[in-house]
Amino acid sequence: MTAVAAGTGFPVRWEGVRFAYAGDDVLHDVSLDIAAGESVALLGHNGAGKTTLTRMLMGLIRPREGRVAVGDWDVARKRPHQMAARVGYAFQHADQQLFARTVADDAAFGPSRLGLGTGHVAGILDELGLAGAARRHPYDLPAPLRKLVSLAGVFAMRTGVLVLDEPTAGFDRELRGRVVAALRRRLDAGVTVISVSHDLAFVRLVATREVTLDRGRIASDRAVSPSP
Amino acid sequence: MSVVRLAGAGFTYAGAAEPSLRDLTLDVRSGELVALAGPAGAGTTTLLLVAGGYAPRVIAGTLTGERVITARRPAIVFAAPWTQLTGLCQTVRAEVAFGPASHGRPREAVLAATERAMRQAQVDHLGGRDPATLSGGELQRVIVASALALEPDLLVLDDPAAELDPAATDALYTLLREVAAAGAAVFVATPDVERIVKVATRALLLGRGRIVKDGVPAEVLA
Amino acid sequence: MIGYVPGVSPLHRAHPYTPLATAGALLLAAFAVTTPATIGVIAVLAVALALLGGVLERVARPAFVIAVPTWTLLLVLHALLGPEPFGVLAGLRVSEPGLTRALVLGGRLTAILVAFLTVLAVVSPARLVEAMTARGVSFAWMYLLVSTLTLVPRLRERAARILEAQQCRGLTLGGSPLARVAALGPLVLPLVLGALVEVDEQVLALDARGVTSGQRRTALDPPADHTMERVWRVVLAVAVVGLFAARFAGAGL
Repeated sequence: MTAVAAGTGFPVRWEGVRFAYAGDDVLHDVSLDIAAGESVALLGHNGAGKTTLTRMLMGLIRPREGRVAVGDWDVARKRPHQMAARVGYAFQHADQQLFARTVADDAAFGPSRLGLGTGHVAGILDELGLAGAARRHPYDLPAPLRKLVSLAGVFAMRTGVLVLDEPTAGFDRELRGRVVAALRRRLDAGVTVISVSHDLAFVRLVATREVTLDRGRIASDRAVSPSP
Repeated sequence: MSVVRLAGAGFTYAGAAEPSLRDLTLDVRSGELVALAGPAGAGTTTLLLVAGGYAPRVIAGTLTGERVITARRPAIVFAAPWTQLTGLCQTVRAEVAFGPASHGRPREAVLAATERAMRQAQVDHLGGRDPATLSGGELQRVIVASALALEPDLLVLDDPAAELDPAATDALYTLLREVAAAGAAVFVATPDVERIVKVATRALLLGRGRIVKDGVPAEVLA
Repeated sequence: MIGYVPGVSPLHRAHPYTPLATAGALLLAAFAVTTPATIGVIAVLAVALALLGGVLERVARPAFVIAVPTWTLLLVLHALLGPEPFGVLAGLRVSEPGLTRALVLGGRLTAILVAFLTVLAVVSPARLVEAMTARGVSFAWMYLLVSTLTLVPRLRERAARILEAQQCRGLTLGGSPLARVAALGPLVLPLVLGALVEVDEQVLALDARGVTSGQRRTALDPPADHTMERVWRVVLAVAVVGLFAARFAGAGL
């Protein structure tokens, strides 16, 4: 069994966070605590602030006020490539990052940057049903499979926290099932998972907590039981 | 009235070793809302391109068998909205008006069709906005409006709700049902079978380029 | 930095053909004249154009970034390493014909750069499309011109997203020269490959919107083209022809 994480999960915390794009506040004094190993779904309409919140975890944007921490790391003191050691961020649009000549090479990029070695990458491709595509050029694959390749690359970084932005957009039931199975394995290993998703079927299968944002504030925060 | 008819049709992309569609026989009439489903690589996108008349005319390849398209005003919508922006328009209104204006319709008719399409797609409040500043979901609805402004009699959509939240997805699918009921033939390829099954009048399940099942959505998409 | 900046200057409000024609005339004039003094006049006129458009500050930075290394190279190659006769300038031995050549080439580049960047900043692509539609210009030419104008902002936006994605995979941008070159692959390749993948979809989308319909496009909101502006464009054309005629007649411009 491929080791899914280099360490256990980390807790994640946003404290009194405020953020604005060009004047208007997008996040108003948001505080949210996620325990290590929790699986949280961030829900809400487009523009509610979900992606803004997650981008802060990587240090891609900085809050105007407040603090963001991943474990004992204050994100304000880190750059995105440093946060990559603890947080694997799966962007919504796969084409933003695929560049290598083969699927296997692309999936190995992140772990090689982090100095993790790449021996485990084949196992992750196999886990996501991409073993047959390992030697193919990513851009020869249809869009949903390219997205799966980008997810494989994030999983291969073996981070203690996974942040997934619309991980199943464009996926049918079968592909969604592969992602759910992979996430469940990681949750069992103690990885913290934060998903931003409109796919309620996916959320019901994976999340133990649903946090709903509305116009930059937390509207509700409730524990849920994932479907079997 | 038959809008698209295929008999033993196949399609191979230029430079590809294998056909993406094989031996397809299909007759779609006005008023139908046909849901297309199938695993990645099954040929749903290719079928949309062939049925809409865009392959091999715009997307190079070889078409075999027989195809008859009687539609006069086809329109197409893809999943990734930003590649479908013309890049030439500064406002949503101009973007939606682009299609009918390109067909040389009179100015008043273009403006009327534009306003109607924007209302249908629920983007009328975004008329003055720069398309480049819209979210993925808003943009996708603008692209749908752009297609509707052409007043199509054949509308093909490839995963048009990829960027939409559940409420907006339901609204879009309901709109497509209305467009079909008004006389157009509508094809929608989507992995979101749970939602499309509520509005589709017919469903096709594709596998390895062939039609595996064709019939009542609740049975085909179960 | 580079790209259209909304505004209300006379250049913004003018018919799009007017700033385009003015910049085009400056470009041609820059090639028609051959002495440092006259090139200097053209360069000053280009700067005046940027001032009139209210975009001098926006244009100055990218112009500077491109012009400074080029000027340096020109001065070294021609002024310092050029042929005799030599003179002394700021304590350095410089080639007089070489210095003249460097000033002419550098001045030409500066004038063209400033004029071109000004046009990018003041001409709205959407207004240009409407202007061209009203004149019955074919879609292919229209698209070619306008896409070129909007290329840089689009690529820049895309490049920023790619950079973020790769940094989140651990890519660092600093380090040795070799490391920096190695970082280019993950940044440039997705930019190019992603753009190529999108070309097919863009072609389809445009076709679906009727650009190949063969019908003449309906102009919905064509910009006004005042008589004064049309006269100005004719004056520009005459002036450019006059400059070239003077040059070939041997007037030492």
